Amino acid sequence: MSEVREMTIQFPYKRSLGPVVGAFMTALTEQRILGIRCGDRVLCPPIEWDPATGDELAHDFVEVGPAGTVESWSWVAQPSEQHPLDHPFAFALVKLDGATTSILHAVDAGSIDAMSTGMRVAPRWKGTRVGHISDLDAFVPGETSEVAGDDTGPAEAPVEMMDYNASIAYTLPVTANEMRAEQANVEGRFLGLKCPTCGRLYTGGRGFCPIDAIELGEGNEVDLPQKGVITNYTIIEPVPYPGQTMTEPFARVMVLLDGADIVLGYQPTIDLPVADLHIGIRVEAVWASDAELEDLASTAEGRLLGWIPTGEPDVTDPELVNRIY
Amino acid sequence: MSHQPCAIVGIGQTHHKKARRDVSFAGLVREAAQRALDDAQMTWTDIDAVVVGKAPDLFEGVMKPELYLSDALGATGKPMFRVHTAGSVGGTTGIVASHHVETGRFERVLAVAFEKQSEGNAQFALGSGKSGSLGAGGAFAPYMRSYIARSGAPLDIGPMVAVKDRLNGCKNPYAHLKLKDIDLETVKASPMLWEPVRFLESCPSSDGACAAVFTNEAGGRAAAADGRQPAWILGSAVRSEPSTFPGRDPVRPQGAVDCAWDVYGQAGITNPREQIDCAELYVPFSWYEPMWLEAHDIAGPGEGWQMTERGDTALDGSFPVNMSGGVLSSNPIGASGLLRFTEAALQVRGMAGEHQVEGAKVALAQAYGAAAQYFSMWVVSSSLDPFGA
Amino acid sequence: MPNADDIAIIGWSVSPMVRHTDKTEAQMLLEVCSGAVDHAGITRAEIDFTCAGSCDYVAGQAFSFVQNIDALGAWPPKRDSHVEMDGAWAMYEAWLRLQIGDIDTALVMGSGRSSTADPTLIYPMEMDPYYLAPLGTDATSFAALQARALIESGKVTERQMAEVAARTRRDGKDSPYAQVTGDFDVDTLLADDYVNAPLRRHDLPPITDGACAVVIARGDRARELCDNPVWITGFAHYTEAHYPGIRDLTVSPSTTLAAKAAGVDERPIEVAEIQAAYTHEEALLVEALGLGADVPVNPSGGPQAANPIMATGLVRVTEAARQIRDLGKSRTLAHSTSGPCLQQNLVCVLEGDAK
Repeated sequence: MSEVREMTIQFPYKRSLGPVVGAFMTALTEQRILGIRCGDRVLCPPIEWDPATGDELAHDFVEVGPAGTVESWSWVAQPSEQHPLDHPFAFALVKLDGATTSILHAVDAGSIDAMSTGMRVAPRWKGTRVGHISDLDAFVPGETSEVAGDDTGPAEAPVEMMDYNASIAYTLPVTANEMRAEQANVEGRFLGLKCPTCGRLYTGGRGFCPIDAIELGEGNEVDLPQKGVITNYTIIEPVPYPGQTMTEPFARVMVLLDGADIVLGYQPTIDLPVADLHIGIRVEAVWASDAELEDLASTAEGRLLGWIPTGEPDVTDPELVNRIY
Repeated sequence: MSHQPCAIVGIGQTHHKKARRDVSFAGLVREAAQRALDDAQMTWTDIDAVVVGKAPDLFEGVMKPELYLSDALGATGKPMFRVHTAGSVGGTTGIVASHHVETGRFERVLAVAFEKQSEGNAQFALGSGKSGSLGAGGAFAPYMRSYIARSGAPLDIGPMVAVKDRLNGCKNPYAHLKLKDIDLETVKASPMLWEPVRFLESCPSSDGACAAVFTNEAGGRAAAADGRQPAWILGSAVRSEPSTFPGRDPVRPQGAVDCAWDVYGQAGITNPREQIDCAELYVPFSWYEPMWLEAHDIAGPGEGWQMTERGDTALDGSFPVNMSGGVLSSNPIGASGLLRFTEAALQVRGMAGEHQVEGAKVALAQAYGAAAQYFSMWVVSSSLDPFGA
Repeated sequence: MPNADDIAIIGWSVSPMVRHTDKTEAQMLLEVCSGAVDHAGITRAEIDFTCAGSCDYVAGQAFSFVQNIDALGAWPPKRDSHVEMDGAWAMYEAWLRLQIGDIDTALVMGSGRSSTADPTLIYPMEMDPYYLAPLGTDATSFAALQARALIESGKVTERQMAEVAARTRRDGKDSPYAQVTGDFDVDTLLADDYVNAPLRRHDLPPITDGACAVVIARGDRARELCDNPVWITGFAHYTEAHYPGIRDLTVSPSTTLAAKAAGVDERPIEVAEIQAAYTHEEALLVEALGLGADVPVNPSGGPQAANPIMATGLVRVTEAARQIRDLGKSRTLAHSTSGPCLQQNLVCVLEGDAK
């Protein structure tokens, strides 16, 4: 069994609703549920187009419910963190009075025994409503709407946007090659893999030669040189976004290793002001000391702090700049 | 078993903007699709299949959006397909749609490509949420440096492309950026983002969609007879290559060369510079104009920048490039490839309005993706036989 | 009109199906691509077109398919494409592509590591972004809603669902590609608690990491390379409205449309491999496909035995092909699906050479 790496993909998306979904969400803040006419049917929740023909629907809204009939239901025994309730509840398709189609939402019935197809349910509204499907806290058994907590009233202006904070946690296995490459990194070495067929070199975590489509493993390992030359680079003006920690322009350089036909791409530099950066600078790897390692926030480069100029004369070769890979 | 002719008879796109807050996700896509149908004088029920394409779903946080979009695209009861080949996806979308027709299995196919990236953050999505993201420009900046060095191009070339494309964009009612007052000095004074690429040499982040209706020979000829010039596909091709291996040349990628000559061969083109009237190439950063001109052998090595410098690639030049304003003027990432493909088609249909190239009969379109490793290209013409066999 | 008999499956490879792999998706693909081209008796270099099916959100990374190119040996550069759909749809794209007539062989693949995240948190993201995703509506909850609708319509009972669960896991014992197998007693299964009523644990598919690759070839090339090519004689897919509340969840019209377009009813089907990940789906799909009660369904164990999302459908194709090539059948079908409550469905009909 290998090690794993935890990673979360999380972003606060902001969605614009458009005229139909916007009208529905605005109405929710008013404790009203809207459907939209589609021929002789009323679709709830309203969509913008006739699902059968694709034609645009006129914005002919109809208030439906507030109560309705459960058409089908499930019982979520162990709610997830994304579910609307944190105790067992039903997801149900509820055909609201006056609607032809069913809306999917939670029914807070208390226990599975209280659920049945054909039962009547009514909305329990959140006290504070913002124009979001969860303004409907859940449906509850019975005919009468309720409000949970203090009712702060409808939105002051038509609702046009909604937030969606997706968050998914991934547990990604670290491959044996990656583990050995990371171990080498911790020991202050670069692990490379040499393809037995074509002789090309790849960085240690890579796993295979994409030219020959063969796996590379422990038997193909070589230690890569620690010195090289900068062949190309860029200097990046950092952009803010959730997860970003860079604040000053930073360089990323391509390093062609001495005596090994391999370029390490987009590497950080040490003691090299961006103003002095140019092609041909000889550099060597700088690794964090044990003491430094404890302070070091985990970076993509592990123990490698970056590449530092060795002070040797530059390499002058006009072809260097083409060694991006 | 033969490859049947395919014509584009309807094209539509949205007004590309930084943020289209007036529409839902489906509303954005629908706008382009409806325009394409209107242009084709068709209704939703005329369409046999829908092909949808967009870039990573992390841009909007909607996974497999073709599921949610089936109602908006009239796809209920029809086949619906979603391709994803990174930045080249818009092009691939058009090509896959054309294959549906070229096999003879479908008569009228709608292709739609789109991105509503204002809902998320492109840098975030490109870096999958990690810090220190290179962003798209950071990854390509070394490639551009390599081109400048190997070609001897003067440093003004990038800014010249930036100016040309934005001024072209002013002639395109759908373009996102309309920088009427842009000039070389302004571009050179703009902040450096990914050295050597400056802010005004980089594409915007746009919300937008593009759609096209593909039909068979009978449909194309019917449109022509009705006074609505179709764009005939003379050839299309895709290529992919691995991103990282020692010795890879990402400035003149083998995939770019092979894809181009595949398309030229299908179209009967032996001299692209002479036989192609204009081109829409995926240029998200200014230097990519001369780079693609050379990688696709429209210009010889070191001569791509000379075409730019001479004004060959200007709208009134001898080989106009990105008449629409290109990716530098509008970049809804998933749609950009299809925008290139349909702008080329608009040219040969004579429907490019103020950015029309006089008498354009044969046009090339190209899109690329990831680390310059995915390519999709096509050649379209107002005639099935423009070189007169 | 091209002759539909002209494209055949000539080789395939299925990865081990495991609850959790330590391999990267690219490594899994490398192995199945090598296996498939070997099975087909060709080399990667001879493949004219490649097409992959995979999903960024399953992989946990934007552009996740890009590193998967490395498994293809795409040098010199290849004609290549990718769909953010199950590998069965990647095969559809390749099938169309080969019919253009200028190239002869294609390598198709599907892959996914579902073990890396909780599916309950991922799949809400493929739902309507305004009305469904924010409620965290997950695939199992949707399946449960459809199951109840079917039960109440009289089309299936919980006992019949448990019988499907027992049968598929028992049949899976004979398959090297089944992850969850064994002999289960129906009454014991029915005594278990609901997980998402009316679904119990046995009604759900397992979480599986896996990959699959298939080689298809056109006409003469197929015959040149393979003594018993498995011909694709019908191939179609259709979709339905997205929001489950608009649809009648007791029927699957897109499956019926796909079956008709693929010519399912033209001649008897001897085995059906269908992507019925949840037990109640089998009855619904069998009815929608127009199959008689005597047609064996998922003798491989089906997705109940192994569910490598983004490859599950393509694995069904290989199992349907195996029935013809290795087990003497002459006409089988494979089915794949996508979206909540079977929103989108694909049917592929396979035939051996006439005997």
